[in-house]
Amino acid sequence: MSEPRLSVVAEGPKLYGLLAEFDSVGKLLAAAERVREAGFTRFDAHSPIPVHGLDEAMGIRPSRLPLLVLGGGASGLGAGLLLQWWTNAVDYPFMISGKPLFGLPAAIPVTFELTILLSALGVVGGLVVANGWPQFHHPLFASERFRRATTDRFFVSVEAADPRFELETVRGLLESAGASHVEEVED
Amino acid sequence: MATVPAVVDNSLEDPRRRAPLVLGENDFTTVTEKVCAIAERPRPPREWYIAFAISASLAAVLLAMLGHLFLTGIGVWGLNMPVAWGFDITNFVFWVGIGHAGTLISAILFLFRQKWRTAINRFAESMTIFAVICAGLFPAVHVGRPWLAYWLFPLPNQMQMWPNFRSPLLWDVFAVSTYFTVSLLFWYVGMIPDLATLRDRATTRIRSVVYGILSLGWRGSGRHWHRYERAYLLLAALATPLVLSVHSVVSFDFAVSQLPGWHTTIFPPYFVAGAIFGGFAMVLTLLIPIRSYLDLGELVTTRHLENMAKIVLATGMMVGYAYGMEFFIAWYSGNPYESFAFVNRALGPYAWAYWTMIFCNVIAPQLLWWRRARTTPWMLWGVAVLVNVGMWFERFVIIVTSLSRDYLPSSWGYFKPTWVDLLTLAGSFGLFFMLFLLFLRFVPMFAIAEVKSVMPAGGLEIGPHHGHGQYWGEIPHQHDRQFGEEGA
Amino acid sequence: MSGENGKRAHWRSLDELADTPEFRELVSAEFPGLEEDIADPATRREFVKILGASLGMVGLTSCRWPKEMILPFASQPAGRAPGVAVQYATAMELCGATVGLLVTSYDGRPVKIEGNPLHPASLGAASAPAQAAVLELYDPARSRQPVRREGGKEARQSWEDFDAFATPHFNGLRASRGRGLAILSEASSSPTLARLRVGLVEALPEARWYGWEPLSRDNELEGARLAFGRSVRGVPDLSRARVIVSLDGDLLAGHPDALRLAREFAATRRGDGGEMNRLFAAEPVPSVTGAAADHRLALAAGSIPALASSIAAGLAAHGVAVPEALRKPARALDARAERFAAAAAADLAVARGRSLIVAGPRQPAEVHALAWILNEALGAFGATLRAVDDPDGDRESHVQSVTGLAGRLRAGEVETLLILGGNAAYDAPADLGLADLIGRARVSIHLSLHDNETSRRCAWHVPRAHFLESWGDARAWDGTVSVQQPLIEALYGGRTPLELVAALSGARVESARDLVRATPTDGSGSPLGEAGWRRALHDGVVEGSGLPPVRVSVRAEAAGPVAARLGVGAGRGTEAVFLADASVHDGRFANNAWLQELPDPITRVTWDNAALVGPATAAELGVRHGEMVALTAGERSIEIAACVVPGVAEGVIGLPLGYGRRAAGPVGDGVGFDVYPLRVSEAPHAVKVDVRGLGRSYVLASTQDHHAIDAIGMEERGRRIGELIVEAEWAEYRRDPDAIRRERHEPKPLALFGELEYGGDHQWGMTIDLSACIGCNACAVACQAENNIPVVGKKQVARGREMHWIRVDRYFKGSPEAPAVAFQPVACQHCENAPCESVCPVAATVHSSEGLNSMVYNRCVGTRYCSNNCPYKVRRFNYFNYFKRTSQVEKMAFNPDVTVRARGVMEKCTFCVQRIESVKIAAKNERRPIADGAIVPACAQTCPTEAIVFGDLRDPSSRVSQLHRHPRAYSLLAELNVQPRNRYLAKLRNPSSGAEEA
Repeated sequence: MSEPRLSVVAEGPKLYGLLAEFDSVGKLLAAAERVREAGFTRFDAHSPIPVHGLDEAMGIRPSRLPLLVLGGGASGLGAGLLLQWWTNAVDYPFMISGKPLFGLPAAIPVTFELTILLSALGVVGGLVVANGWPQFHHPLFASERFRRATTDRFFVSVEAADPRFELETVRGLLESAGASHVEEVED
Repeated sequence: MATVPAVVDNSLEDPRRRAPLVLGENDFTTVTEKVCAIAERPRPPREWYIAFAISASLAAVLLAMLGHLFLTGIGVWGLNMPVAWGFDITNFVFWVGIGHAGTLISAILFLFRQKWRTAINRFAESMTIFAVICAGLFPAVHVGRPWLAYWLFPLPNQMQMWPNFRSPLLWDVFAVSTYFTVSLLFWYVGMIPDLATLRDRATTRIRSVVYGILSLGWRGSGRHWHRYERAYLLLAALATPLVLSVHSVVSFDFAVSQLPGWHTTIFPPYFVAGAIFGGFAMVLTLLIPIRSYLDLGELVTTRHLENMAKIVLATGMMVGYAYGMEFFIAWYSGNPYESFAFVNRALGPYAWAYWTMIFCNVIAPQLLWWRRARTTPWMLWGVAVLVNVGMWFERFVIIVTSLSRDYLPSSWGYFKPTWVDLLTLAGSFGLFFMLFLLFLRFVPMFAIAEVKSVMPAGGLEIGPHHGHGQYWGEIPHQHDRQFGEEGA
Repeated sequence: MSGENGKRAHWRSLDELADTPEFRELVSAEFPGLEEDIADPATRREFVKILGASLGMVGLTSCRWPKEMILPFASQPAGRAPGVAVQYATAMELCGATVGLLVTSYDGRPVKIEGNPLHPASLGAASAPAQAAVLELYDPARSRQPVRREGGKEARQSWEDFDAFATPHFNGLRASRGRGLAILSEASSSPTLARLRVGLVEALPEARWYGWEPLSRDNELEGARLAFGRSVRGVPDLSRARVIVSLDGDLLAGHPDALRLAREFAATRRGDGGEMNRLFAAEPVPSVTGAAADHRLALAAGSIPALASSIAAGLAAHGVAVPEALRKPARALDARAERFAAAAAADLAVARGRSLIVAGPRQPAEVHALAWILNEALGAFGATLRAVDDPDGDRESHVQSVTGLAGRLRAGEVETLLILGGNAAYDAPADLGLADLIGRARVSIHLSLHDNETSRRCAWHVPRAHFLESWGDARAWDGTVSVQQPLIEALYGGRTPLELVAALSGARVESARDLVRATPTDGSGSPLGEAGWRRALHDGVVEGSGLPPVRVSVRAEAAGPVAARLGVGAGRGTEAVFLADASVHDGRFANNAWLQELPDPITRVTWDNAALVGPATAAELGVRHGEMVALTAGERSIEIAACVVPGVAEGVIGLPLGYGRRAAGPVGDGVGFDVYPLRVSEAPHAVKVDVRGLGRSYVLASTQDHHAIDAIGMEERGRRIGELIVEAEWAEYRRDPDAIRRERHEPKPLALFGELEYGGDHQWGMTIDLSACIGCNACAVACQAENNIPVVGKKQVARGREMHWIRVDRYFKGSPEAPAVAFQPVACQHCENAPCESVCPVAATVHSSEGLNSMVYNRCVGTRYCSNNCPYKVRRFNYFNYFKRTSQVEKMAFNPDVTVRARGVMEKCTFCVQRIESVKIAAKNERRPIADGAIVPACAQTCPTEAIVFGDLRDPSSRVSQLHRHPRAYSLLAELNVQPRNRYLAKLRNPSSGAEEA
């Protein structure tokens, strides 16, 4: 690692990382596995479709979204019952059809709907937050080739910020994994 | 990468080979191209403009009718005192019913791993959204004082009063609004990757900006996909009971009352079956013409049509069963009012409506027992259209005939629609088609990512299979070879 | 009634009065032992009555105070609290007979008309037209100033113009001793008018006085002359009658004394007294009386004389002393008629002394004579019937009179024609062509409320003051005199016949009040003293003015000619019978929207008359329901819509009079069909016509059977009637009163949840006695007036959007030719488990702690779900803003205690909650309990037969509680477990064991 090189790096635009393009699911999976095994943590795979086995290949921990559903559902249930009981039986009771002021059977539909509603909002909310949406700028968008990531190409990106990042070694790693093209992406 | 050998007809049942879901010389590229091209054309064909002009002007008629209604009063409709609900609630139930196919196809077929859904779910979901918009319109405007319709929501108000949660109408409010919200989320979430595709293919700044915003910065990241799939699965799991509940709740409007002909325990399942029935029919009604016009036979294959035809047939049988069972129970209950309500349906002043319904909903679908009818688009389309008519009449029969003759013969009446009733109905179709045409114009009409993922190149069998990872479907066997060497 | 202020106001005014000896005398005389009652608050209601009237007494002139009566008070006059209801007694005359009324007035604004309990012809009840008079008072179409017509030009004139013309003209007439003067007056029983007439004849001996009334009881008078050689009228007393035979006589609705008769009739129909009367009715077209009959015979009017003679023969056979000449039936009748006659005769004979035969105004004199004769033979006089001298006995019949006038007009002998009221140009016999003859008189003056058909033919139209605006007096059928006192300054000015005649006779024109005041009415021969006058105004009746019964005996020579003429055959061809219309009478009420929208008791048709024809006859003539038909009699012909009604006699067509008006006003013009053109002087009651179907259809807006009903509907309705209208035969009921309850057993279905506890001190409930209800519709109008119920018009009724809170359902039973009719008033049943409430999403209809099913108008958003879920379909929806075009004047008729409902809002019967509350408040202020019967909803108040009873169910001794427990009590659709607070009492019929259903 020599001074001028560093200074060059320091002066020139900062490197985001390397972006490798693959042309099939199989290669993508293989590459993702290789990169993970090489001990990288700050890398990602990009595909136009959900690739199965990719989460294992990349070593992604199962998402905790289901917990949000439970939370949303529980609060929806509580809110539904509370709303109906308080409004009709406590705050402003009516005598209606000789029926009880609050009856569980009549309360079920609304309670159920609220349960579903809040659960659903919980899931989607969780998804948006966890994925850091909306994120309108990302260095990868700068790459022309990367545009095909949503159409018919598969990519692996390794970030320069990864402690083990070594430009050439990473490039080598990716090419040996069968990348049809590797490029540097600037931040 | 190699492509599938073209298969002309994938509707053949051959136990030795699993039928491919996408036909023709297609790979990821061509599929994406085919679908996006529709939404990317700088200007749509003339037919689109004609169709849009017609439906938009019908929607304008709807607007005019509602204006007339608000200024004059509910009296502009044909309602009277025994029959206080007519076209208004009929249209509401009809559209809500239509609105069920979308989420049903997405959610339930999804959970049942029906891979063929991928070709039609975007379509059906959009249809759902627009149908529910039309449906939601009617309860809001059918009240005598529409400007006070917001009293149906539990908002603190100047009267310090709350709505009455014992009323089925209030259940409706919650059910329908929940259903709309969840369907909308489901629709949008499902669309994010495709919006990103459009963004990346965008040739004009404006398109890339708009789709960029809509796609929230999607970049196909594996980590995102992971959460995305989990979220989608959960939404599906939530939407499924929701679909079933919503039409059940709608049916409570009638089942919970004590009017002979309404007060029936069979209503919830019967309404749900009817909704699926009508919903699928509407999907077919829309899909078949568009499919042939845009030549999408490779994506929406005959097999898809046939599957839907089978569902229409099955649900049609359920509906027919319900019709019969209503009569049986009416007789079996020994309740004279109940039995008269049904005799009156079949033989009374509204017999014409009843038999229209029977013909369209029970007799016409029997055609689908023949494979030829299931696989011949125009025949299938004919049946679907009839079913749509029949389902509208089903609601009309239930609501109007029951009301027109209840307990005291002295207060029996007869409902005749006015021109306002008819134009309002027509207008609601206008609104529906207008929204649908806009959808065709600006949004990918297929869930591209999902279609691609059920293609051979989707590489589904690679890597360990477990949990949710499998539900896009397995790869048709005849393609195993292809991945043999690569996978290893 | 009155609120808290009211109470103070009353006490204040009472103080003023309490001292005066007249008042003490009055009180003691009117309510024996009320002196104590004044201290005892229990009878506060009577109180309000006295006090209301007493206000009237304080400032009688106050009734004539200008402005204050119409405009809001600028300064509060003494003895009057704003916003407090006070009641004044007055009277309304119809065809020469009055009914006493109590008029409720707010700040000098009459808003509600009820019957005067002290008046013998009312007993607290009021007919539909009487109650609707308040709308007539505020009718914006009433003429507001004199109109002058000359050579096709018409000019609005001021009163000064009229007087400028009239005074010299009248002077001229007096100078010429009235030569060439003819006065045509509608029937009037006013003693004052009679007095003035005498004066007039003295002043203008050559003047001629004519009378015309399209619907008169001249034949009855003629019959009396035939029988007794004396002009008497019969005053029936049904309270004593066991067997009543009505020969085409609509005793219960068409008779001038109908309200009293209905009350007496119903009194013994409840089967409680261990006795029940039996009514035989023979009539061509179903009437309220026919519907109430135990045996009804549908028979052409022309055959009824023969039937009468058969009955006479039958009586003779049973040993009744019938004159020789009448012992043989005049001619043979069909089997049904014969059976009917036989059964009737048998029962009449058995119930000798407690039986009665009445003939209707449509029947010729000889039938009336026969009725007189038989009644005498049956010993009815003094028991079930009394004869009194007709106050205007020696007059010629109206037909003769108007024919005479026509003759003189034609001969050009009439210089000046003064027409007092009426509408001769429209309703005089067609063959006279009076309308065109009026022009022959050089000067013609017409005094009437509206600038109507007759006015248009006259040189002068002079606005008439409404009876609620002017002084007058008139006799009831039994002769009782009532003083008609005004409640409001004449809205548009206006004169009364009294004033005109007085002016004409040149008597110093006093105020009408002085004219009335100066008339001797109580038989003493001298005007009432101050006390008597005040009492008369307060009570609404002049004590001792009733006509004394006279002893009459049939002339031996009468029987012969009578018998001779009874045989006259009905003749060939279809018989068209002219009927008094239940709503517009002879057409005079045509511009009254309440009455136009009031369904006909039998046909349930609103806003129209129609040719009523039986199913068989219709088939025979090849006429559909609602088809236009042409009726031709000689060269006269009309077109009218046919209405197929069960129970119309074979070969008969019923033609209700009074429609097809051309100058009635915006409401009445062009409504229905004018049938007067078929009515000629020699046959004013029935004519033979040729019927020709025209194929064209016409929409008849009916409130029942909104559309032609199909086979299965008809069948099902037949099946249900027995369920809905529980009936029993008197004989069986008497044997075993609990049979009804047993057969119908109403098991209390198990509830899903605990019964709700009602906290209220009172639990309001109602019962409706189907045995007593005669379907007269009085309740419907009372409700409409009390609760500001909108009129929706023919188109809306045809759509099925009528708004009446209480409707009288009419059901036919049995064969279409001879159906049994049952009426069932249905209003909100105030169910304890009200189905309407639970389905309302905004809780706009909820239960009160007193068990009322309350409708909260301002909370209602109008989903109409409540109506869908109401098994009785009693809820009414404002599909439009029905008050949009209500003029300011009409708004004066609104009851200020009741909200006027907006568009898009549901409404329904409230049990008159405003009345309940006002009584409760008053009772609370006075720290006293509410007496049973203190609260009376409008419908119950006006019901002539007291079929409707309202009260507190929590008090086990209240009348309503007792009736709820009555063996005849049942709930409508009890099996739904909605627990209605309104229960019905089963209908009892009392068919003769002898005759099978005639």
